[in-house]
Amino acid sequence: MLPAGAALLSLPSCNGLFEGIYDEPMADTEFGFTKVDQATSSGTIYIDATSYTKWTYIDFETFSIDTTVIAEDGTETGEVMEGWDLAVHRYDTKTNGGAVIETEFTSLDEFLASGRLPDGEYVEDVWTEDRITVDMSQMMDGIILYAPSWYNPELSKWLNVDTSTMPPVYTMSGKVYVLMTQDGKAAALQLTNYMNDSKVKGFMTIDYVYPVEF
Amino acid sequence: MKRIIFLLVVLSLAAQSLFASASVTVTGAVRDSRGEPLSGTVVTVVGNDRLYAVAGDDGRYTISVPDGAAMLRFHLLGYLTQDISLEKVKDNLLNVVLEEDLMNLETVVVTGTRTPRLLKESPILTRVITDLDIQRVDALNIGDLLESELPGIEFSYAMDQQVTLNMQGFGGNSVLFLVDGERIAGETLDNIDYNRLNLDNVQRVEIVKGAASSLYGSNAVGGVINLISAGATEPWSVNVNARYGAHNEQRYGGSVGFQAGKLNSMTNAQYTSIDSYSMPSEGDYSTFYGGYNWSVKERLQYEPLDGLKFTARAGYFFRERDLQSDTRDRYRDFSGGLRGEWDINDRNRLELSYGFDQYDKSDYLLFNETDVRDYSNVQHVVRGVYTYSLGKEGQHTMILGGDYMRDYLMSYQFEGNGYYVQHTADVFGQIEAKLSERWHLIGGLRYDFFSQKRLSHFSPKLSLMYSLKNWSFRGSYSGGFRAPTLKEMYMSFDMASIFMIYGNPDLEPESSENLSVSAEYNWKYLSASVSGFYNFVDNRITTVWNEELGGMMYTNMSPLQVRGVDVSVSTRLPFGLGARLAYTFTDEAIRAGEPLLSQTRPHSATARIEYGKSWKNYGFNVALSGRVLSAVTTEVYTSATNYEDTETQTYPAYTIWKLTVSQDIWRGIQLNVIVDNLFNYRPDYYYSSTPSTVGTTAAVSLSMNIEEFFNKK
Repeated sequence: MLPAGAALLSLPSCNGLFEGIYDEPMADTEFGFTKVDQATSSGTIYIDATSYTKWTYIDFETFSIDTTVIAEDGTETGEVMEGWDLAVHRYDTKTNGGAVIETEFTSLDEFLASGRLPDGEYVEDVWTEDRITVDMSQMMDGIILYAPSWYNPELSKWLNVDTSTMPPVYTMSGKVYVLMTQDGKAAALQLTNYMNDSKVKGFMTIDYVYPVEF
Repeated sequence: MKRIIFLLVVLSLAAQSLFASASVTVTGAVRDSRGEPLSGTVVTVVGNDRLYAVAGDDGRYTISVPDGAAMLRFHLLGYLTQDISLEKVKDNLLNVVLEEDLMNLETVVVTGTRTPRLLKESPILTRVITDLDIQRVDALNIGDLLESELPGIEFSYAMDQQVTLNMQGFGGNSVLFLVDGERIAGETLDNIDYNRLNLDNVQRVEIVKGAASSLYGSNAVGGVINLISAGATEPWSVNVNARYGAHNEQRYGGSVGFQAGKLNSMTNAQYTSIDSYSMPSEGDYSTFYGGYNWSVKERLQYEPLDGLKFTARAGYFFRERDLQSDTRDRYRDFSGGLRGEWDINDRNRLELSYGFDQYDKSDYLLFNETDVRDYSNVQHVVRGVYTYSLGKEGQHTMILGGDYMRDYLMSYQFEGNGYYVQHTADVFGQIEAKLSERWHLIGGLRYDFFSQKRLSHFSPKLSLMYSLKNWSFRGSYSGGFRAPTLKEMYMSFDMASIFMIYGNPDLEPESSENLSVSAEYNWKYLSASVSGFYNFVDNRITTVWNEELGGMMYTNMSPLQVRGVDVSVSTRLPFGLGARLAYTFTDEAIRAGEPLLSQTRPHSATARIEYGKSWKNYGFNVALSGRVLSAVTTEVYTSATNYEDTETQTYPAYTIWKLTVSQDIWRGIQLNVIVDNLFNYRPDYYYSSTPSTVGTTAAVSLSMNIEEFFNKK
């Protein structure tokens, strides 16, 4: 018995069995416009928005992504291209003078099939001082630091975080949003995931169509 | 059992022919109180190991008794053993009526001393929950069962709706759970996965309160709970069962067992599921997360020679929890083992075993259908135990044993999802001496070694029992400890970008010193016990805000004390009425300013009253069981980073009851109707310690023992 046990212990099964039944987490190496289909003007954007002190700027025209570092007073350091369309901080969003409406559609194809831009109130950004969290380190003392910033309440509905329970409950709306940019072009956006394969929250996957032309 | 009986018959025949010259023949019938024959009753001559007879199907026996013998002993499982003087034999005839063992006094327990002892004679006060109790409360899982049978046990929710235990001030990592004496790998927020401990194929649950590290090592700080599996006892058996209840709760299970020559096997499978549901009022949690579990286990025993037995076991467990719309938590366990037990002779016994247990956690992400593992705990255990009976009549017992364990832990809570390995070794010895008919003494010592920080710990035990007729008085001093786990030593975990939790490699083991005294009274229709206990607990490990690190860090706490009283009375009368009342008072004294403050309810009680009757083809039992928990008012810290400002928090008292109506319809078909939360307790606010009930609910369950269809009774 004992030698048998010792022999068993020296087998590779020492550290466990059936590793093969699991998937390997994909490494988060590729960020930005990870998929672009020129023919349909659509694609997928994957960004790392895990940091509380980072805005990620997206420009559909040039397929470029820029980031800035946010200070407590709201000032940002970092270069951003002029004509950016959308920016993301954690799950928060802002636009570059644009406006957003939530549609009833739950897929981009459905939206495109509808053949027209939705009617209704397109919501512009609002100035906030209690939205953009930049420091959670004193949360345990009940102190959360916010940076003053623009914020688009309509597009930010794409992910609801219910913090009334611990841990918070995250619910994606699953809806398609239409962003009218400052220069009058339309982008259709859908948040399809807010985590990476290792379940770390703040990795945002956004499917888009830009420009939307009916 | 049948095989043993057969052997005994052969032996008795051999013995009869051997002693035929100088003996008298006694014959008669053994029956129960209703006059039914009790086949299989073993008849022995007291003071003579070699003479046996076994009652046949008609309850009749014949035994040759040598000259000078004074008593005959009649023994049958489930009945009270009777010693009858040969003076009562008239014309070589002795008819006997055996009474049912209603109070389970002849149940054999093993947890307290690591050797089989009759419950009533066990030198360590042990509480047993039998398979009948399990059926009667129709418990779904171990938590449900323990809460309904024992006061002072509370399962509540920790963060993330993970289940956490409080047993009279001791948490999940201070109460050692065993399955057939084997430890269980894996933990979440300091608690093992209680879902693994389904009650399928559990013959009994033994509970020993108080420190027991002298026999079981780390984690046996506040008590040991040991689930004992049943083996096959029939030539073949097939059971299928199902249960349906509120929130679309479903359970399907089955077992197949057989005995063939030297081989016996038992295979069990079970599937359970329940939907997620919302709580009707607000609270610390708003949704109960549903999910499903399934498990398979196999136990194969082979007895090549009389007294030599090999047991092989294997199990698989799977649980999936609906945490969020896009994520499922998955838990898997693979276990296996091999054990050899050899009764070398009357005095020497040797046991060697190897056990394997792997507990994995993974996240199944629905959007890309990936199942990524982020936690794996793999334990290999090799054990040897040698038991030697000392003294003229083998009345004393000495046990020597040792274990080696390799503990591998990979976790998302380690930096870069890394892993650590620790080797643990221990040796232990115990002497159980029967000083006289009345005095019983146990002394034990164990030494444990943990490789990671070269920690070692000695755990002593000394206990004394005095028996007088139906009374037993026990007193004991025992040591308990819990070594810091790999998680507690090496954690480096970013808690939702809010703060870090750091491990601490310099942790000291938690330790406890336990003093207990008890008085127990056992009679064939009534058992009662009172016990008082005092625990001095030092270096309890918890997370504490560390200013320097700006995060939480595992730290040893200052000493605390837990003391209390347990009272229990139970009765079962021959006409089918039974009742049980148990009460516990617990006082947990923790100094203000410590990071953890007591949340233990001071008073709690469980009660059960039942009535049942059975006829040839029909039987019923109605059981009302409930528990009452007092309110607890405690201080809670208003900040997690300092331990000065507190506010008062009261967790309200509540009581919850369950009615179970069981019917044995026909030959092994049992139908249960259960009304849970009978008096419609609806919490105003769901604290994490509030049960996730939404009011009165009902369930039905059906179980069929197919082999009984073919019984010719």
